[in-house]
Amino acid sequence: MIRKELVAASAEPLILSLLAKGESYGYAIIQEVKARSDGKLNWTDGMLYPVLHRMEHRGLIKARWAESETGRKRKYYSLKKDGKTAMAKHHEQWSLVHSVLAGLKKEQYV
Amino acid sequence: MFDLEQSIADWRTQMLAAGIKTPVPLEELEIHLREEIERRTKLELSEQEIFNSAVQKIGRAHMIQNEFKKVEATQEYRNWKLVENLFAVVTSLLSLLLCGMVIFKMGSFSEATSGQQTSSLVGIGAFALLAWGGRLSFRIFPVIRARQIRDAICISGGVLLMLWWMAFVHIILPRHDFTTGQLLVTILWVMIAPCGIFLGLSWGIEAAAQKKVAMTGS
Repeated sequence: MIRKELVAASAEPLILSLLAKGESYGYAIIQEVKARSDGKLNWTDGMLYPVLHRMEHRGLIKARWAESETGRKRKYYSLKKDGKTAMAKHHEQWSLVHSVLAGLKKEQYV
Repeated sequence: MFDLEQSIADWRTQMLAAGIKTPVPLEELEIHLREEIERRTKLELSEQEIFNSAVQKIGRAHMIQNEFKKVEATQEYRNWKLVENLFAVVTSLLSLLLCGMVIFKMGSFSEATSGQQTSSLVGIGAFALLAWGGRLSFRIFPVIRARQIRDAICISGGVLLMLWWMAFVHIILPRHDFTTGQLLVTILWVMIAPCGIFLGLSWGIEAAAQKKVAMTGS
């Protein structure tokens, strides 16, 4: 089980990276994160929406209401220019953390 | 007999009671709940079990609302920063404009003596110091979290200031025979400087609350 602090910290970069592939809506975002992490990154579904709304307020993403192919109304989110910049920054920072950790792990086996 | 639509309606009521706003984000959450229920109907579970597990997965109403409150607090803080910048520009420009008028003897200040000019400049300085002093010393102000109370204090301060101005203009001023220079100095000290007290008080109270919001809300 991944610690909730790490789950919370990774929410924004994951959402930004998912939206970089194209617009999506809350339920689909959660399902995709779950599938990509083999169910290990399991968000409390309702907690996604405050994160999405905060990112919308910060101008990282934008939203529009539209009808799905089944006729259900959905709020679709997509990336804005500032969101792309924020995503690049997140990738840079998480890559740094990852490379430091990987380097330290490698040293343990030398 | 389990009624899915009634259960969803009850869930909505619980969400509303916790403070989740409608239509957004409650509608968005309800759509999510329905999608989850729909996905789970493929499982061999009763409608009630499906509904209960979907509700559990979406999370408790007060927890979701707490997260939304943080979003609102962040937004409120951003709005406040804009208002504060406007506040800073207006008080600075007003002080500079008045100083310029006094120094270069513009308008009615042309009749002011050098002593009256000095007194006027000190009066303008007092206004700026009192207004900015409130902002700079916000840490000494109590943190009032309730916006209504902060608004009530500001409005009360504004009303008191207006009453004082009216008393000065209609009661005190007619009893004295001022020269133009004396009148300008008196206006600066009696009307503009108290305005600085009001601005400083309002600014300090709001800054103290907003800093606290920024520290705990984000």
